[in-house]
Amino acid sequence: MDAFAVRTEGLTKRYGRLLALDALDLAVPTGSVFGFLGPNGAGKSTTIRLLLGMARPTAGHARIFDTDAQDVRTAHRSLAYVPADVALWPQLTGAETLELLGRTGPGVDRGYRDELVERFALDVSKPGRTYSTGNRQKVALVSAFATRAPLLVLDEPTSGLDPLMEREFQRAVAQARERGQTVFLSSHQLAEVEAVCDRVAILRAGKLVEIADVADLRRLHRGQVEVTFAGTAPRLDEVPGVEAVERVGPARLRFTLTGPPASALRALATADVTALTIHEPTLEEIFLDYYDEVSR
Amino acid sequence: MTAVDARAPQAARAAGDASARNAVTWLAVRQMRRGALIVIVLVGGMSAMVATTYASTVGDAMDADALAALAENPAIRTLFGQPVALDTAGGFTVWRTGTILAVLVGAWALLTATRITRGAEDAGHWDLLLSGKIPLPTIVMRHATVTVTAALLVGGTTATALTAAGTPPDGAVLHGAGLALVGVFFTAAGTLAAQTFPNRAAASGATVALLGAGLLLRMIGDGVDALGWLRWLSPFGLTALSRPYHDNRVLPLVVLALAASAVLAAIPATAARRDARGSWLAPRTSRAPRLRLLGSIPAFALRRLLRPLAGWTAGVGAYFLLIGLLAVSMTDFLADNPQFADLAAQAGFAGLGSVEGYVAAMFALLAIPAGIFTPYTSPPSPPPKPTAGSPSSTPDPSPGSDSSPQKPPPPQPVPRHSPARPGWPPGSEREA
Repeated sequence: MDAFAVRTEGLTKRYGRLLALDALDLAVPTGSVFGFLGPNGAGKSTTIRLLLGMARPTAGHARIFDTDAQDVRTAHRSLAYVPADVALWPQLTGAETLELLGRTGPGVDRGYRDELVERFALDVSKPGRTYSTGNRQKVALVSAFATRAPLLVLDEPTSGLDPLMEREFQRAVAQARERGQTVFLSSHQLAEVEAVCDRVAILRAGKLVEIADVADLRRLHRGQVEVTFAGTAPRLDEVPGVEAVERVGPARLRFTLTGPPASALRALATADVTALTIHEPTLEEIFLDYYDEVSR
Repeated sequence: MTAVDARAPQAARAAGDASARNAVTWLAVRQMRRGALIVIVLVGGMSAMVATTYASTVGDAMDADALAALAENPAIRTLFGQPVALDTAGGFTVWRTGTILAVLVGAWALLTATRITRGAEDAGHWDLLLSGKIPLPTIVMRHATVTVTAALLVGGTTATALTAAGTPPDGAVLHGAGLALVGVFFTAAGTLAAQTFPNRAAASGATVALLGAGLLLRMIGDGVDALGWLRWLSPFGLTALSRPYHDNRVLPLVVLALAASAVLAAIPATAARRDARGSWLAPRTSRAPRLRLLGSIPAFALRRLLRPLAGWTAGVGAYFLLIGLLAVSMTDFLADNPQFADLAAQAGFAGLGSVEGYVAAMFALLAIPAGIFTPYTSPPSPPPKPTAGSPSSTPDPSPGSDSSPQKPPPPQPVPRHSPARPGWPPGSEREA
């Protein structure tokens, strides 16, 4: 099997004058859980539609394992998909919908599907028109996970789920990873991405701005440090990586720290530090940094 | 050994593919079976009823000369088609019900085709389906094939019913085939429009316009002898030219079958070269705001109504303008043949030879567009609800309803369960 589950080269999509995706180069290693982030309108859904062969690229190409994404007949034997906005056939019951999707999809593990129906507490006897947003999403999630396809493409799959079901979703993703499946997860729930993803890509205005392991991303970004001291304040003006120093109390300082903390610690050692807290950036903060750059 | 190994998974793959395609067929059947059943029963039943009651209604009440005179009247000819073989039960049935049933079958076929293809695609139902291993063109063609099959069943049932009613089998088969081919043609046209136009309303509207044009060509061709050739350009004209129970000509139906096949054959290529939820005629991705008529609910209702009303008014106006232009030339025929007018008058149809009488008869047609338009203007119902196929499930307003300009992957309104609303109709809670 190919080393990459998803690979795009110069993938570009235009809708009339609107450039939705601009020469995207992306590689998702097989077996990883890959987070795909970006503000609304950044081109996430466009990318997913191109990966699924639902849209035709204006330029460049995408590959699913070793197949061109446009070759739906072959490529879709190894992937399952959960759309952002699940629309079910109003007259088909949940069970009928699962059967239809099971037969048109890459194959289905019926035992695992029944287990998932239990776990997601899904009543499959109701017709599609009676399902709430969350329940429609559950139908799509059960259908996708039950395929055991080597690649799962999930487009904001949990926006309508309650916290209990969100936990169940994260469990199912973890199990998929254990089985060696690749998960391509587009999401706005940054806590969720942080909990399940190994690697993230951040998209902005149709362009890739960052692609990194979650751990590396943290290291590259600023943490927040608070020190309490006795006597004179430590001098932090010239210390590399230290920014936004502010005095929050008579004997308290707060500053942000980017990169390795060694030099900052040396500077602090000159003062009589009585307490020190270092707060690692959450993915949300990292992400907001990227958002802020947009508005700057 | 290796060859066997290589073939085994291939065989499994092929079996899986067949099962997947059958699942799509089943889906298409589920979405249109009720409507198809109603049309089959209606068309077959109506044909059989008129044929079996021919002796009692026509044979006794009207003598053949009077009937012939009536039938030769241009107004009647325009409405019902050129009468042939009125002296037989089968011929009378074709003349009396043929046009209206062909329009019914054609309209049902095109509305069903656009509803289960473009309608389902726009509503987002196909997003999950398209992530499966069946490509878009195959899904489209499966749905078209199911509707085509239903149209053929309509024709088969009509032929069987007419034969059972005692009319000659060759005429019955020809008439049934004509009705079926009209259905097949408009299924193909509707499905092709669904690949071309950005939403279901536009696709349905365009195909309805095609149906109207076809009907108009047939009417002109039947009403004005010099323009009789126009009927070769219309599905309704071609079925009329086949003259069931009289000449039993097969050639016009062969032409219609070829035309329908050509349109069907064009569909896969057009479906393959477009994005899912996209179309050949793409709507603009953004536009300046139009803020007029958004201030109140009545104003908004007016805004929603203006475009379809303008479209329908223009269409109906154009139709009757053409009818009016032809009225004189058609009534001239009666003036030149006073014996027909006399006979018609004896039969109680005086005045049909005059322009006024002719136009009055034509205005009976106005009830159809007026009747279809009314559901459009009724209170806004929950977004796309592809009801399980009733022939009355009319499309949304004709080309260019206000909601059309949108980005290709649109935020689709999700069909929702709407429980019985308390306090509906408005004002009812005030009484409590």
